[in-house]
Order: sequence, then C-alpha cells, then structure tokens
Amino acid sequence: MTQIPLAWNNLTYDLRRLVVAVSGIAFAVVLMFQQRGFQHALFDSTVEIVRQFDCDFVLLHPSRFALSVETRFDRSLIDVAASQPGIVSVSPLYVENLAARLQRENQKARPIRVLAFDLDRPVLLDRAQEFSSQRGALRAPATAIMDRLSRSDYGFELGAGSKFPQAGELNGHTLQIVGTFTSGRDFAHTGNLIMSQENFAGYFAHRGSRPLEQVDLGLVKTDPKLDRAKIEADLRRALGNEVSILTREALIEREIALWDRSTPIGVIFTVGTLMGFVVGVIICYQVLATAIADHIGEFATLKAMGYSNLYFVRLTIEQSIYLAGLGFIPGAGLSWVLFQFNASFTALPMLMTIDRVLVVLLATVAMCVLSGILALRKLFAADPASLF
Amino acid sequence: MNTELSDQQLDELLATWPTDNVSLSIDADHVNHFYGTGEMRKQVLFDNVLKVRPGEIVIMTGPSGSGKTTLLTLIGTLRSVQEGSLKVLGQELLGITPTATTELRKRIGFIFQAHNLFESLTAFQNVRMATELLGIPDEVANPKIEATLQRLGLGARIHYRPKALSGGQKQRVAVARGLIHEPGLILADEPTAALDEKSGREVVTIFQELAQQKKCTIVIVTHDNRILDVADRIVSMVDGRIVTNSLIRRNELLSQFLTQIELFRVLNTTALSKIADRFDLRKFESGSEIIRQGSVGREFYVIGAGQVVIEIDGRQVNTLAQGSFFGEMALIHDQPRNATVRALSPVSCFVLDKDDFQKVVQSSSSFEEELRRAIFARL
Repeated sequence: MTQIPLAWNNLTYDLRRLVVAVSGIAFAVVLMFQQRGFQHALFDSTVEIVRQFDCDFVLLHPSRFALSVETRFDRSLIDVAASQPGIVSVSPLYVENLAARLQRENQKARPIRVLAFDLDRPVLLDRAQEFSSQRGALRAPATAIMDRLSRSDYGFELGAGSKFPQAGELNGHTLQIVGTFTSGRDFAHTGNLIMSQENFAGYFAHRGSRPLEQVDLGLVKTDPKLDRAKIEADLRRALGNEVSILTREALIEREIALWDRSTPIGVIFTVGTLMGFVVGVIICYQVLATAIADHIGEFATLKAMGYSNLYFVRLTIEQSIYLAGLGFIPGAGLSWVLFQFNASFTALPMLMTIDRVLVVLLATVAMCVLSGILALRKLFAADPASLF
Repeated sequence: MNTELSDQQLDELLATWPTDNVSLSIDADHVNHFYGTGEMRKQVLFDNVLKVRPGEIVIMTGPSGSGKTTLLTLIGTLRSVQEGSLKVLGQELLGITPTATTELRKRIGFIFQAHNLFESLTAFQNVRMATELLGIPDEVANPKIEATLQRLGLGARIHYRPKALSGGQKQRVAVARGLIHEPGLILADEPTAALDEKSGREVVTIFQELAQQKKCTIVIVTHDNRILDVADRIVSMVDGRIVTNSLIRRNELLSQFLTQIELFRVLNTTALSKIADRFDLRKFESGSEIIRQGSVGREFYVIGAGQVVIEIDGRQVNTLAQGSFFGEMALIHDQPRNATVRALSPVSCFVLDKDDFQKVVQSSSSFEEELRRAIFARL
C-alpha cells in the first residue's frame, strides 16, 4: 500500500509559507555556523602553530601547562630521547613570546613571537616550500622571515609583490626581514618570526651564556612502521619526570581545553549558538503551528476517522525533518561563503570540517523536531466534537 | 397506499422488528448529558432512548439547540458519555478507553457539513486517507475510489485539488471519504445541503445501497426534506428529549398491509399510521399455542404470515390465514378468552395491546361498527 505523502504535501502546498520557513531556518543555521565557526576559529588559531609541527610527539617541561608559559628544559634530554629505539629524530624548537619586540623605523616596538630551529632540520611542515626556498637567505646573520598574516601595525609590507629585505629592529638590534611564510595569528600573538637558531641565540641574551642549551619544545619523529604506544612508553621510561611527552593531537586538545576553561570564549559563543537555536525553534514553531491552526478542521476530521495521536506525532516529526533539511542546505551553503569571507577578512582559520557540519545539522534537526513537539500540543487539542 | 403489498415488501416489514440474534447498531439507554460544571452545569440531553438496527437509515431533525448534534457526537465517540449506557456497533461507550475509541472510530464514517478536505491533497488522495488508515490494499481501494467519485459526478476532476472544485464537488468528495470504507455506521451532518437535486439524490441512493447491501446503519441530521423519503426512522428532538421516534418505513408498510384488511379500511390515513406505530410483532413456532381458552385477554392479533387454527373446547372450529385477526372478543367484552388459537405453521402476528386497541375502538365509531360486522360474519 502506497502512502499519501501528507507531511510533504502540506509543507510544500503553500509555497510562500515554505519559503518563509526555509529562510527562517536557514537564518538560524547561518547564525549557528557563524557562532561555532568563530569559536572554533579562535581555538584553532591558538593551536595553528602546533598543527604545523612536523612530528608525532612533543617534549616539553612538565610545568609548561600552556604553550605560552616559558619554562624550558635542558637540551641534553633531547639527545637522550634521540637515542631511544624507534626514534627517527628529535629536534629542538626555540620560542620567545614575552621578551621579543619588533620595531620598524618610526613605529612603536610591538611584541612578536619568534620561532627558531636548525635550518637543516626544519621542524615545521613546509607546505608551501617556504622554508626550503628561503634557507639560504636565513643563514645570513640578523635575518628572519615574517608571517604574512601578522598584523599590519608592525609596519612591514608583507603582501604579494612586496620587496625584501625590509629593515627593522628586534630588541634593539638590527634585523632584516628577508621574506615571508604563512602561519596565522591568535589572541596572544599578533605576529610571528622565524629565524635560524644561531641568529636566535644572538638576539636573546637573557637566556644565558649558552642560550641554545635551554629548549622550549622537542619535536619527536618516530618510525611509522613501529608501534607508537611502545615507543612512547620507552621514551617515558628514559626521560622520567624531567620532561612531559604528549602526542601532537593531545597537545592540541590540551591547549584548546585550556583556552576554553580559562577564557569566556566557549561561553560567549555557546550562548550565541543557543541564540541561533532558539531563533530557529521560534521560527520553525511559528510555521508549524500556523500550518496546524490553518488546517485544524482537517486534522480533527482525521481524528474522527480514527487516526491516532501517534500518526500525528509521526506526521509532525516528518515535517520537522523535511524543514530541517530544506533549511540546512541553503544555510550551510551561505555559511560556507561567509566563512571564506571571514577567513580572508580576519586571518582566522574558519574551517568547515565534516564533524562541525554534522554538529550543526544535528542541532538543526533537533531545533525543528523540538518546535514540532511544541506545535503538536495544538494538534492534540483539535476537538473533532466541534466539527458537527 | 392502496397498492397491493408484495411478498417482498411483506418480508421487509416482518424484518423490521428486531430479533434477539441481531445486535443493534446503536443502543442508547437513558442517556443524559451535561455541559459545564458546578453552577454552570446545564443538562442538554434528557433520558434519551434510541435503538437502531443494522441497515436502518435514521433521519434526525429538531431545532438547533435541541441536542441532536450532542447525541450525534456521543454516538460518534467524539464526546464522552456521562450518564446512561450507549452501545455503538456492540461497543459500550460509557468509560471506553482511548485506544478502543480510536479503533471504533475506524468503523464509523463521518460526513461533516464543513467538507474539511486537505488543500494539499487531490480529491482522490483525500478519499484515500480513509482507506489507507484501514490498510485496504491499493488494488482494492483505488478502483473503488475512482468508481465512487465517478458516480458522484467528479469524473474529470478526480485528481484536482479542492481549490479547483466547487462547493458541491467538495461536499461530494467528503461524502465519498465518509463511506468509501463501508463502515458499519455512517454519521452525516447535512450531507446534501450544498448539493443540487440530482447529486443529492445520488448521495442518498448510495446510502440506501450501503444500508441494504452492507447493513450499514446511517444517521443523517438534516433539514433537507427532499431526502426524507429514504428514512426508515425519523427521530425528532426538542429541548434534549426525543419527542418522536417513529419507524416511517415500517409504519408505511404496515399501514399498507392493514388497509388490505376490511376492518382497517374505515380508518383514515392519520389514524392508521397512529395505530401502525403501536403494533408489535410476535413470532410463533408451528404447533405452539398463541392464546388459550379461559385465560385473560390482553392483546389483539393480526396475522402477518402463516396459518392458525381456532379450537373451542378442544374442537377445531376454524382456520385463519394472513390478513385475518383474532383476540378482539375478550378485549371488547372484558371476558376470558373464548377459544384457543394454535399456530399451524410458523406464524408472525402483528400485536396490539388492550389499551391501544380500545383507544382505536373508542376513537372511531365506524371502526367499531365494522368490527361488530366482522364478528357477526364470523358467527
């Protein structure tokens, strides 16, 4: 027996109402995507640099609960780690956050994050051949490359077609910017520099007489053919309590969790997302409830005919799901366009990953089903006795 | 009314009295109903008694506010029974569970005055909502829906949406939806009000067919006197009370039967239909005693079918057949029965009780005269 698609027909019969409903839901979808998008972007931006680490494990000082905390460990531990079985390489990464100030002529000195490593063993994923192609220039003394996504306040011209070198001062000493690379900024860091570890040693005298002996992070690459869990256990045994070992993914999670806990970002954007959700529920409820109110006589007739409440529950939920689907598609499309626009405008990584899309889709379905359930009360109240 | 009553009509007449093995479609027993609570509580139905057999067409009339709609919603399970007993299609409605209500509703067809068709569905699909609920397979339901809509004059517009249909056409679709699944009971509210003479007639013809062939009981609330002729029973209500509950069709047939008897021919139509309403039917097996000599006489008998023999003191004095009457002597003279009457074959008798019989005698001197003449002739 074929079924009359009453839910679909009732929904699509009045096109004007359908358009209103779909735009309303699409609007809610865009709101949710934007809020979630910014929330993710802010968290993503803080770990963007970690995502670029070319490694499986990261070694760091046990009390370095956040990347921005500047507690360091002894370089000798790097060598201990490197001698363990299954380890391909362990490379030191030097980072300065607080003590680095970059200044261009006639501009204010501004804090900048400086990253340094052995140029022959680059620790960052060289996605755009930025390190290998500029290695030669970076070997010269007093040189660095600058993140093209750094804020324009620094006064350097970093866009396409800019001419290099551009001269400036880092902590009062001359520095030539010889090129650019791409990383991204976050709340704490408005710009990035990369230089050789030899140059780094020269700029940061406060690190002691042998500045390269204190390492910020150790990036560990392992043999992909071997069991990572076992390698990790061996490393732990060898290094003891002097250094923490985290997989790159664990470090990303830890970092995001920290920002989530210690800042109101999570709360603000969750409230924003909820607002979108509530707006969606209200719009969707309005549409479903009017659709029911306009056809109350017909529904009462169905009741008189012997259609059960369960049928009406199914009918309404079916309609809710159709509405969710119809509203989600344009909403997600528009959001994608807005993400591209936002990303280029704010230099924040606006990413639309599958799991994030699924979360919003689920929220949309939940939103429509919830309003459907609210509207159902109207349907249950339909009194067939009033028909005679 | 003077036309001869055919055998078929006589059978129909005899069948209009309920026998024990026929369960009633509607059996309302002392139903009271109230609206409001506390001080606002107002009684709208008073002691309603209504018994309707399967296949009867009942027309309910009465001014608005007379309670007929309330009674109809009670019968249709759309309102809860508060007091009394109401059985519909064998199911007691007093204290019925919601699940049983939903199940029972599937066996009732509703035709509302407002057509209440889904604008988003075609005429065909709207009717399909009724067959789909009952799980009637496509190959059975679809041709039937088409044929019914065709018959109701929607031929070319079967697959049109209500927007493209006239008021009368929408009403006919609603009618089709109410009866397509051949429910045991159809409740219709002014089903012909929006229809022209021809399609109104078609609707009631379909009602009659369902009533006769499928023993479907049909209750119609209407003011449309064009369709009064299809009624087996007319129930009229005033102020929450059933004031008339007469079996039109039975009375008509019985009057027709009675006019074939010399005795009743002297009565005018009104008087005849009045006593027709008072007759009961009683059946006797072959050989059984109908009245006994010496017993107290309480009833007057007219033989509807079969043969009886009259015995006085154990001696057969006469036999009587269809159209004859007996039992009048004891009633007129207030004496014990002067003879025994025994059935020679299965016998059906129309029976009038003493009071009613005496009322007829008193009301019409010519009837009394005719009765004496008949008694005299018998001697």
